[in-house]
Amino acid sequence: MRDSIVRLEKAAKAFATPEGQTVTALDAIDLDVSRNEFLTLLGPSGCGKTTLLQAISGFVQLDGGHILIDGEDMTDRPPYRRPVNTVFQNYALFPHMTVGENTGYALEVAGVAKAERTKRVGDALRMVGLEGMEGRKPRQLSGGQQQRVALARAIIARPKLLLLDEPLSALDKNLRQSMQIELKTLQHELGISFIFVTHDQQEALTMSDRVAVLSGGRIQQLDTPRAIYDQPKNSFVATFVGASNLFEGEAGSGQLVTKDGLSISHGRQGATGAATALIRPEQFFIAQSGDSAPGLDVDLEQIVFVGSTFELFGRTVTGRRVIAEIPAMRRSLVGEIEQSRRARLAYDPAAVHLLPAEAA
Amino acid sequence: MTSIAFRRRAQLAVLLGPVSLFLAVFFLGPLAIMIVTSFLAPGLYGGVEWTWYPHNYGRILGFADPMFEDFDPIYIAIFLRSLKIAAMTVLATLLVCYPAAFCISRLSDRWKNFCLFLITLPFFTSLIVRLFIWVLILRPTGLANEVLIGTGIVSRPLDLIYTDGAIILGMVYVFIPFMFMPVYASVEKLDWTLVRASLDLGAGPIRTFLRIILPLTAPGIAGGAVIVFIPALGNFVVPAILGGAKVMMLGNLIEQQFLAARNWPFGSALAMMVMTVMLVLLFIHVVVSGRRGFDPATGH
Amino acid sequence: MKIFATLARGSLIAYTALFFAFIYIPLALIAVYSFNANPVNMMTWTGFTTEWYAQVLGFKTKISENALYLESTSQLVEALWNSLIIATSTTAIATVLGTAIAIAVYRFDFFGRRFYRTIMFMPMLMPDIVLGIALLIFFVNSGINLGLKTIIIGQCTFLISYVFIVVSARLAGMDRTLEHASADLGANEWTTFRKVVFPQLLPGVVGGALLAFIISMDDLVITYFIAGVDVTTLPMFIFAMLRRGIKPEINAIAVMMLTFSFVIASLGLYLRSRQK
Repeated sequence: MRDSIVRLEKAAKAFATPEGQTVTALDAIDLDVSRNEFLTLLGPSGCGKTTLLQAISGFVQLDGGHILIDGEDMTDRPPYRRPVNTVFQNYALFPHMTVGENTGYALEVAGVAKAERTKRVGDALRMVGLEGMEGRKPRQLSGGQQQRVALARAIIARPKLLLLDEPLSALDKNLRQSMQIELKTLQHELGISFIFVTHDQQEALTMSDRVAVLSGGRIQQLDTPRAIYDQPKNSFVATFVGASNLFEGEAGSGQLVTKDGLSISHGRQGATGAATALIRPEQFFIAQSGDSAPGLDVDLEQIVFVGSTFELFGRTVTGRRVIAEIPAMRRSLVGEIEQSRRARLAYDPAAVHLLPAEAA
Repeated sequence: MTSIAFRRRAQLAVLLGPVSLFLAVFFLGPLAIMIVTSFLAPGLYGGVEWTWYPHNYGRILGFADPMFEDFDPIYIAIFLRSLKIAAMTVLATLLVCYPAAFCISRLSDRWKNFCLFLITLPFFTSLIVRLFIWVLILRPTGLANEVLIGTGIVSRPLDLIYTDGAIILGMVYVFIPFMFMPVYASVEKLDWTLVRASLDLGAGPIRTFLRIILPLTAPGIAGGAVIVFIPALGNFVVPAILGGAKVMMLGNLIEQQFLAARNWPFGSALAMMVMTVMLVLLFIHVVVSGRRGFDPATGH
Repeated sequence: MKIFATLARGSLIAYTALFFAFIYIPLALIAVYSFNANPVNMMTWTGFTTEWYAQVLGFKTKISENALYLESTSQLVEALWNSLIIATSTTAIATVLGTAIAIAVYRFDFFGRRFYRTIMFMPMLMPDIVLGIALLIFFVNSGINLGLKTIIIGQCTFLISYVFIVVSARLAGMDRTLEHASADLGANEWTTFRKVVFPQLLPGVVGGALLAFIISMDDLVITYFIAGVDVTTLPMFIFAMLRRGIKPEINAIAVMMLTFSFVIASLGLYLRSRQK
């Protein structure tokens, strides 16, 4: 067993809707988070990721199962007696307190002496780049600064685990990207585990050591960002993380044949039965005459220039939509096919990933 | 002056003129005359003598006119007692309304509106009738005593009516909407993620209440306290009905000076005490709530 | 932990139920006991009767043979009549003046606007006993005879405040671009006011008028000081009755007054909730 800081055993939670139905938010989830790990919970809204986070912080009482933090059973502990702190989505800074009072709150309630507190507040604020801002009120700060105060406030008591509930969603794009890097750096410096909740797959892939993709109250896949992207376990993960072209069909050795008669080559020898082939858009390249790589002939419907790449929207003869991403440096080729409105999208069979067939 | 600007001026004069005149004559005028009267000497048979006479205030505050009488501490005692009863009314109303405001703020919109309707409704019904009900309940042969005797808790009727407690009860009953509405407004606005943040940072429920919930709902509490305290202090209907002759408050004393003793200057001086307390409270309220919104960086 | 949460929630709900019980059980009690036949102790049930109502409404009953009761019934009718005259007049005056000043403050820019906005709250905040005696001194000093006229003037001073507040709340919530649109489409100021502003303002004005009417009908303290010796209003009548000693027909009067104001208030609040 790995050295785990948080451990969920068969954690279950269901909510009653006002209409009288029950919604399963957590469906007997097992999860281990290692020490010093950056784990991201990724999923669409309503997938249970926030419930999972709140179960760890103590705001949601489990219907069944257990939560252990650093080996101690926390299932019945109230939030204020768990060694866990949270950075809230809208920061939740106390408006009637200064930045310094906000930051030092956890120490104040823990009874830390004033002098010690002042020093640690200064340290924490320096860490997030807000040196000397103790006397300000939260509403005098920009969104990014408020975010940093929330962060300083949550780490000051040195929790065993920091929970971040979509903390970057209110920031604009540039700030969000720089904060992503800062968060990652901060996590290294502090040496504590972060559990980060987001619905932004880019964010999840950028920052995490491991990503847990959630849907319908279950963990669909828990893996490193690369594995999640390259070897998704099912079509939900494949479509939720990154753009994808999926081809369901009957797999044979090195070949998969779809119902509409397309044949997709793949690198897996000895595969049999129903399966789905995944080709990421950027794995396609435009085949030139004489290219021997397998490919798909498509009619191009639209070509969109997005700066670093061209996005090609095409249809196979059987009417299936295909998306491809061609690096912008190949623009001379794109110019050609823009004329003919037809192209052969080639791919490397070794890059094709086969998903097991799913019960519908 | 352009014709449009002139027309606007004329319209404004028509809108503003009559009201200004009416309030100047019938609101500010009477108050001014009352202030003047409070510094005049009482006539021998009612009436007023036009001489400077600060001793009306002296009778209340302790520098009595040595020509006529010794200082009688009864008036300052009544004043202090009225302050005490008004303060206890504020406290009791708050204790009644605050938890209810929390509960109602967490209901669905439908129920919320219905509850607010139920709370405002009594405000529109006859005050005197609502007080009268408590006479029926509290008097020696009333319902409360009947129940207490009937269940064997007491053997003979308790003195419930004509006590300080009865006055406070009556005032709480009629002032509930005054306190509830401002308190509810601030509770409703309370951001519950702040409460979560506090719990998350290790503060227990009691500390979270004292450190987060209470300060954030303080503006509503202060507003409710002021608008309950002011009418409670000078109230004379509630003590007249539920306090009987035994419990004297400022309001009764003022009424007595005007309708029985016919010492108008003294009555005016007493009314001035009520008004002064009101103005001081309003001033403090404005200054404090102004400072709370003050932002040292922007200067607003 | 879960048990505690449920317990806390349960006790909060129970508390709120108690809160409403505290407000409404006394009102329910008086309604029930107004049908009690016991003429001596109103809280000891001896049987059902509608005689107190008949008595109040002036019908002949067994008790009304008693001359004392007959007298009070005619006084009651007179007091009610006075209250209605006063409430109707004050409502008319206060509604016009209160609406005028609200429009001035919210639609015109002038020096002293903030002053008006603040000063308009003063009559409402002023303890009624202070205003009552100030008006008494004023009327007596200026030689005006106390009576209906002085009551109407006196009540208007603070009713204007109430109308002002209700109407300004409405004005503050109104979308001014509609007025600009109307002007843009060629309507002159008067037409804009008639066709755009006034229809939107009307619920506020009606609400203010209803409030003024109810408060006027219920005002005791100010009226009490400036009514003089000849005029009695309904609240004064009941107040005097209470001070003399309680008779069972007060129950019936009380219930009728409660019903009346419940109906008006419910109507007003219902109309307000509808316009949203």
